[in-house]
Amino acid sequence: MKTVSLGASRPSTVSFRMPTRDNLVPIRVDLEVDGQRYRDAFTWNPRDPDSEIISFAKRTAKDLKLPANFVPQMLQSIQGQIAEFRSYEGQEMQIKEKIVPLKIDLRVNNTVIRDQFLWDIGNLDSDPEEFARTLCDDLNITDPEVGPAIAVSIREQLYEIASQSVSVMREKQLSKKGRRAPEFSSNSKAVNNAVDLFKYFGSKGSVIRKRKEWYLYEPVVDVVANEEDGKEETNNSSRPKKRAEEKVASLQ
Amino acid sequence: MATTTTTTTATATAPAAANTNTVPTPTPPHPRPAAAPAPRAPSNLGPVKSEAPPTPSSTTAATAAATTTASGAEDPSNIITVPSYSAWFSFDSIHDTERRLLPEFFEGEAAAGLGCRGPDAYKYYRNTLIRRFRARPGRRLTLTECRRGLVGDVGSVRRVFDFLEEWGLINYGALPSGSKQAKERREEAVSQSSLPSGVAAPRKLCTACRSVCGLAYYACEKADISLCARCFVCNKYRPGLTAAAFKRIEITEDAKSDWTDKETLHLLEAVLHYREDWKKVSGHVGSRSEKDCIARFIRLPFGEQFMEPKEDRMGFENDDDITDDPGAGVSKRLCLTPLADASNPIMAQVAFLSAIVGSDAASAAAQAAISAQSRVDLNDGEIDSSINSNMEEESSHTNGLSVNDLLKEAASNARAQLEKERNSIEQSLSDIVDIQMKEIQDKICHFEHKEMLMEKERQQRQCLRDLLFADQLAILHHQRRPQAVATESKYDEKPKPVINIS
Repeated sequence: MKTVSLGASRPSTVSFRMPTRDNLVPIRVDLEVDGQRYRDAFTWNPRDPDSEIISFAKRTAKDLKLPANFVPQMLQSIQGQIAEFRSYEGQEMQIKEKIVPLKIDLRVNNTVIRDQFLWDIGNLDSDPEEFARTLCDDLNITDPEVGPAIAVSIREQLYEIASQSVSVMREKQLSKKGRRAPEFSSNSKAVNNAVDLFKYFGSKGSVIRKRKEWYLYEPVVDVVANEEDGKEETNNSSRPKKRAEEKVASLQ
Repeated sequence: MATTTTTTTATATAPAAANTNTVPTPTPPHPRPAAAPAPRAPSNLGPVKSEAPPTPSSTTAATAAATTTASGAEDPSNIITVPSYSAWFSFDSIHDTERRLLPEFFEGEAAAGLGCRGPDAYKYYRNTLIRRFRARPGRRLTLTECRRGLVGDVGSVRRVFDFLEEWGLINYGALPSGSKQAKERREEAVSQSSLPSGVAAPRKLCTACRSVCGLAYYACEKADISLCARCFVCNKYRPGLTAAAFKRIEITEDAKSDWTDKETLHLLEAVLHYREDWKKVSGHVGSRSEKDCIARFIRLPFGEQFMEPKEDRMGFENDDDITDDPGAGVSKRLCLTPLADASNPIMAQVAFLSAIVGSDAASAAAQAAISAQSRVDLNDGEIDSSINSNMEEESSHTNGLSVNDLLKEAASNARAQLEKERNSIEQSLSDIVDIQMKEIQDKICHFEHKEMLMEKERQQRQCLRDLLFADQLAILHHQRRPQAVATESKYDEKPKPVINIS
């Protein structure tokens, strides 16, 4: 008798979207032109018209005093990522009540923040922005650039999970038509890392985390004072480490 | 309330919002004393400004503000000016203008008020942007640095930013980083001055009449209002304030452009040669206007000798002057009565006379004039109406009225004021009640939300229970196949058909 995973109880398929309340795309830009580096990450609303992208790129270049030849590359990068998002949009993905662990490991200006927590990707009302705001408020983070970086990082991870569930759906539809089977055929990292709710909260476990595990889930914030940018931090996670953007050549 | 110019929305603006057209930097609602590392600005500023706010992002901003305050007791750059067409703005509420021009935050699915799309998000963006700008009012904010500090999608942030900039709530009069628009705006605001174009200090504008204040202005600490001399005398302030709440503050013109030694030398030479002909003096000095020369000259330490010794007869609010060293006596000369700025020549004369004569004598004379007028029905010129005008209100009322009518009028005035008081009390009571209700409503919302979550969890648990039960049934079914037929039919109408029993 096989375990009935909770995933089989209510898989609903919806057209692709970010599993958050606002359907916003995380965009990451990393360019180097003529020796000048520009790295940035922000959230974009895919419903904004394309003209908005162009004016945004121009404005950013002007504000940061970047030379004009940054603009076309910036445009290309941003439009490419948005197009990729849109290419997913026509397809279907499966919404399960799956709880995935998310990790944050960022350095923004002089603040280092590390955290891990569980996120319900079945909840289409979740809000990474609110989470980021609350986290910064609660941890008394003074640098206002940390919040957006956290929100973008969360969105990126959710985006990856969502896009993987789309490809899983496609696989299933191609190979196993009509047969509803619980998920065990995908080999994506995210799904493997997903916690089986039933097992987790089953009869043996309790909802409350064990005390000796608390330290694992506690956020860590460090303020480093003007250290070298090349400092690496080791982390034994299975996912690739994400670094936040560093400050661009002087703002003003 | 003075006439407000070119406001597109003709709503009666609340006094608190309308009067704060020149707003000192407000304190943020979440002060973080532990986290903010920068030192606080000292509170020894003039009465107009509150201390520079401890915004969390402004380590440089706070130190910049501290250095500007250190340079002068009254520093114009700490004053935020807001154009009159944006007088409706207030931190705590959202105005119709905003709702109209940024509907994305307020209509449709956003009306639910959540996430990146609701009024709360709008307020968060707007207040953060404005506070950020006001922390360093001379500096122009760019969209990129702002959106990097705001959690949310950049499209919405850009729209709020553009809106605020267009309405002058951001980057108004800020030092341009190469933009012509801000330069033009600043030049408009400065009506008559010899400011070199690089200086970012805006002129002091009167809250009521929106004109540039002349020599001096009156500032009220409580309500953060600054009035020019004319408006002060016309009592163009809120009924809750009295004249005593206002303090007189001189505008030191030297702060705008310091006189170099060379210029001072020229000035002295010129005065020696040309005596009182200020035109020639200013020509000799070169880059200074006549007015500047005169002002500078009187401020010089020995300038007193050249003036008639009238200081002992000046009795008008001299203790509050914040001018530089050249003696309180010198500045008393400038310390003419409030009406000195008035364009009306008669008023100016009256002001001069009353200044010469002294406040007691002037008020006594006014009293005598009033009583004399009340005896006479006509207001022909035999009574010195010029001295009368010192007590403006009474004079306009007493023209041609008898004592009885005066009394009646006073009584009705008193009654009207009483009504007003009562109304304002009722208003504040109802406001308090509203706020309490809102609090309770918010709590209820919160609880409802929690209840919903609980309900969801309960349903999930129920579902799990059902599954478990189904599993148990399946086991029984396997174990006792023939007997299980009857029981199986009972549970056919299970609502969850997705269970694969294999």
